[in-house]
Amino acid sequence: MSRRLLGGALVFAAAFVAFAFLLVPVVAIFARVSPGRLVGQLSNPVVTDALAVSLKTTAIAQALVLLLGTPAAYLLATRRFPGRALAVTLLELPLVLPPAVAGIGLIAAFGRLGLLGGALAGLGIRLGLTQAAVVLAVAFVAGPLYLRQAIATFEAVDPDLVAASRTLGAGPGRTFFRVVLPLARNGLAAGEALAFARGLGEFGATIMFAGSLQGVTQTLPLAIYQEFAVPGGFDVTLAMSALLVLVSAALLVALKVTLQWQPSRRTSRFLFAPSS
Amino acid sequence: MSRRVLVSSALVVAALAAGAGWAATRASTPRLTVFAAASLTDVLPKIDPHERYSFGGSNALAAQIQQGIPADVLVSANTSLPRQLYAQGLVAKPVVVTANTLVMIVPHGNPGRLHGIQDVTKPGLKVVVGAAGVPVGDYTRTVLAALHLSSVVAHAASQETDVREVLAKVALGEADAGFVYATDARTVAGKVAVFPIPASAQPRVEYAGAAVASSPHRAAAQAFLRRLLAPAAQRKLRAAGFLALPRR
Repeated sequence: MSRRLLGGALVFAAAFVAFAFLLVPVVAIFARVSPGRLVGQLSNPVVTDALAVSLKTTAIAQALVLLLGTPAAYLLATRRFPGRALAVTLLELPLVLPPAVAGIGLIAAFGRLGLLGGALAGLGIRLGLTQAAVVLAVAFVAGPLYLRQAIATFEAVDPDLVAASRTLGAGPGRTFFRVVLPLARNGLAAGEALAFARGLGEFGATIMFAGSLQGVTQTLPLAIYQEFAVPGGFDVTLAMSALLVLVSAALLVALKVTLQWQPSRRTSRFLFAPSS
Repeated sequence: MSRRVLVSSALVVAALAAGAGWAATRASTPRLTVFAAASLTDVLPKIDPHERYSFGGSNALAAQIQQGIPADVLVSANTSLPRQLYAQGLVAKPVVVTANTLVMIVPHGNPGRLHGIQDVTKPGLKVVVGAAGVPVGDYTRTVLAALHLSSVVAHAASQETDVREVLAKVALGEADAGFVYATDARTVAGKVAVFPIPASAQPRVEYAGAAVASSPHRAAAQAFLRRLLAPAAQRKLRAAGFLALPRR
């Protein structure tokens, strides 16, 4: 009996430590200086420039991820071919790579002395230390998150509905946009939210491949790193951190809400069982 | 089952206690945590392999000490940061331990076709410098101002957080030119070409070390700094390209 009590107490203690450990650093960001001062720091040009760079590069990177990733995910989800499992695993690899390795990989591939550096130079393109390099870094580390979720989502779309649409005379394009995409909408949005959050936080690959220049390549995480080294710059780093915590939290809540809402399933039930 | 857990945790505790005891017997030579300028990355472990090193931009290391991150010694690539921390009571009186010179480097093959330092203002060139506040960044600004080339800073392709980041960007060929210490250029000989900076524009690059005030190993930290000043260590520093200690 007392042993069971001890066991229970240990479990609760472990849970408390885990909870406190994960929560205290986030709370501490807001506890250290007053909210008024945090908001005041947000008008610092380092912060506004970093925010603008972060928003622009993340938006372009996510547009690329959506435009290229959605067809890729649909193909991988609907076609069966030898080596498919390998292809999916390879696409997911950047997800588990350390960011520093991603940075080295991008330099080794797209850097001036890299694998494709000569070909790019022939086209007059130099990616290293440019805003395009930030976009590539973000797309490389965040893209697989969307891809993975999109493949799972497309796989979950009932093939009978696709077949029904085709037998009713809709072409593959019309079927994709009118049947598959509406059904997959929530899953895709969830994947995109995850990719967006990861892209916003990108640091290692960016600082290695794109460098750090205020207003050009210095994203919010890079600005936090640089301002940390400035004497008396800690308040600014706290303000930027608080901003990122809030944005990330909003993305997480949006993700949870999107995944819980299942309007597409309800729509399909209504469409195909109107008498019930 | 839970008894087994208890027994194994008792074993772990016993092992930890034994380890602590072992550590205590070695307390006469504590392993120091040394925060040191990135430019000392290769040479300090050769001088004293016993200590634990954390290399980085000196200003980032100083900021960590200000935030209370435990360290025993700070060796900064300038004298102003240790002096600031000394004024704040965070470190003991700093001593100059070595000196260096600044150089301009270009990647192997000189893709930007620079013929001299004056060419660093050529349009379209990607020049990388240290950020303001980072010692190498401040020295670079001093040099460029002395040579009337200050516009380079505003047009820099990247402002890096320590000298080794500048070095890497040039050595990898991503940047066309960068400003680093002579000793850094030596570590990637063959990958970069060096343009010396005229003595008249050369800043006074001096490294100051100080024992951290809150360190429990103050005496050992002072001893570490004294060892850096000893002839054996100074020989190794000079072999790496650092300058002889300035006479005062």
